[in-house]
Amino acid sequence: MSNIQFESVQCRLLKNISFSIEQGESVALMGPSGSGKSTLLKVAAGLLAYKGRAQIGGASIDKLPRHKAGIGYLSQDLHLFPHLNVENNIRLALLFGMGRKISCSDRIAQSLALARATHLAKLKPAELSGGERQRAALARTIARQPNLLLLDEPFSSLDAVNKKDLWFELKQLQTAHCMTMIVVSHDIEEASFLADRILYLRGGELTVEQASRYRNSANEIQSLAVSQPSNYYI
Amino acid sequence: MPAMFIAFLFPLVLFSSVIIGAVASLLFYLSPNELLQAFTSAETWFALRLTLSSSLISLIASLFLGIPSAYVLARYRFAGKVVLETLLDLPMVTPPLVAGLGLLFLLGRNNPVGHTLNNLGVEVLFTPLAIIVAQTYVATSVIARSAQATFSQQDTEYRHMAMTLGLSSGWTFILVELPMAAKGLVAAIILGWARALGEFGATLMIAGATRMYIETLPVAVYLSISSGESELAVACAVILLALAFLLLIGIRLVNTAYSTVRIRHVEYSV
Repeated sequence: MSNIQFESVQCRLLKNISFSIEQGESVALMGPSGSGKSTLLKVAAGLLAYKGRAQIGGASIDKLPRHKAGIGYLSQDLHLFPHLNVENNIRLALLFGMGRKISCSDRIAQSLALARATHLAKLKPAELSGGERQRAALARTIARQPNLLLLDEPFSSLDAVNKKDLWFELKQLQTAHCMTMIVVSHDIEEASFLADRILYLRGGELTVEQASRYRNSANEIQSLAVSQPSNYYI
Repeated sequence: MPAMFIAFLFPLVLFSSVIIGAVASLLFYLSPNELLQAFTSAETWFALRLTLSSSLISLIASLFLGIPSAYVLARYRFAGKVVLETLLDLPMVTPPLVAGLGLLFLLGRNNPVGHTLNNLGVEVLFTPLAIIVAQTYVATSVIARSAQATFSQQDTEYRHMAMTLGLSSGWTFILVELPMAAKGLVAAIILGWARALGEFGATLMIAGATRMYIETLPVAVYLSISSGESELAVACAVILLALAFLLLIGIRLVNTAYSTVRIRHVEYSV
C-alpha cells in the first residue's frame, strides 16, 4: 500500500499511509480510537474507495473481483447474517469462488473446531453471547482459507482463557497456510503474539513501526497457549 | 391515575367505540339466516373468486415492480431520486377516482399507449384486465414505499460482508438482503394485498361495474346497495371485513414471530 488516503464527508481519516507486507507475514495495527485502524482495514478489504495505491500481488484491490481477491475480513461488528444459523453462515461463505471442489461439511467442521465453536453450529446469532458471536464470525472468516486475513479486534469480547487459545489456533493456521494477516488490536500482548510487526497509527498517520517481541519465537508462542491446541486445523 | 392519561384516553375510547359501532352494525344488520343465504348466493361467490384471483395476480405484478424499485431507492443515490419518490407516493395519496380517470385516459384509444395496446390486440379498458391494472397501480405504491423503508433500515455492512465472502451483488440480494428484510417485506405484501382487495374507485373508472363480469367484492357492495339489495351488499362487506381482519392477524403473527428471541443460558467451554 502506498500513499493511501481516505476522506469522509467531514474529515481526512487516512493521511498518506504507506507500507507493504510480505506473503505469510502478519502485521498488527495499533493506536488510539479514531486513529484510522478500522478504516485502513476496510480499504484493504476493498470496501472503501481510496486515493493512492493499494495492491495485492501487484493487482489493485479495487479492481479485483471480490470472490477472486482471496480476502477474509472480520469486521468489528461481526455481521453474522441473522437469518442463518452459524453453520449456514459458514456454508454461505463456501458457496462461491472456491475454485476447486471442497467438502463443505468438512470445511465447516474444521473451521468451527478451530474457533472452538462446534457446539454453536445450529444456533442463530441472536442466541449467542458476544464472545460466541466472535468465535462464530472467526470460523466463517477462516473457512475460505483466504490468502489475506483482515481481522478487526477479533477477540475483544472473549475471556482471557478462550482468547489465548484462539490466538494460538489462529497463529498456527496462519503459519500453516502461509496466510498474510493484518489484525487490529488494542491489546499489546495480543498484537505481539499474533504479529511479526506492529504498526502504530495516530490521527490517520503511520507513526511507529516495530518488530513484535515474539517474532520467530515459536517456543514463546507455544508457551502462551493456555490449554492444549485443537487437533483440527485447516 | 394521572389526569393526562384520563384526558388523552377519552378520544381513544370515543374513536374505538365508533369503530366497534360500525363493525357491529354491519355484522348484526342481517339475521344469521339472511346472512347465510346471501353468503351462498352465486353472485357473492363470483365476487369473492374474482377479488381473490385478481388481487393475487396484482400482488405478484406489484412485487415485480415494487421490490426492485424499493431497492434502488433505498440503496443508491442518483439525480431525480426525490422526484421518483414523490411520484411513487402519488398513487397512495391521489383519490382513487382521480387515479382511475388518469388511467382511463392513458389506456384510451386516443392516447398513444392505449392505441398501441389496441393495435397489439390487448383490450384493457372495461375488461377484467383493467381490474388488475387498477389494483396493481395502487398496491405497487404501497409495497414499494414500505419495502424501501425496510431496505433503508438494513445495515449495508451486511452487504459488504457478503461480498467479501465471495457473493456477487445478485446473490447477496437473494441470499442475504431479501431474507434479512423478510419481516418488513411480508408486512409490505400484506398491506399491498389489503389495498388491492379493497380497490374500488380506480376499478370503477377503468373496468366499470357489471354484474357477474366486472364484479369484485367492493363493486358488488356498490351495485347491490345501488339496487336496494342490502343483503348481498352486507354479505360482501362482511367478507371484506373478515379478509381485512385476517390480514391484520397476519401482520401481528409476523411481528410476533420475528420479535421472539430465544434466550439461551450461555456456557463457555474450553
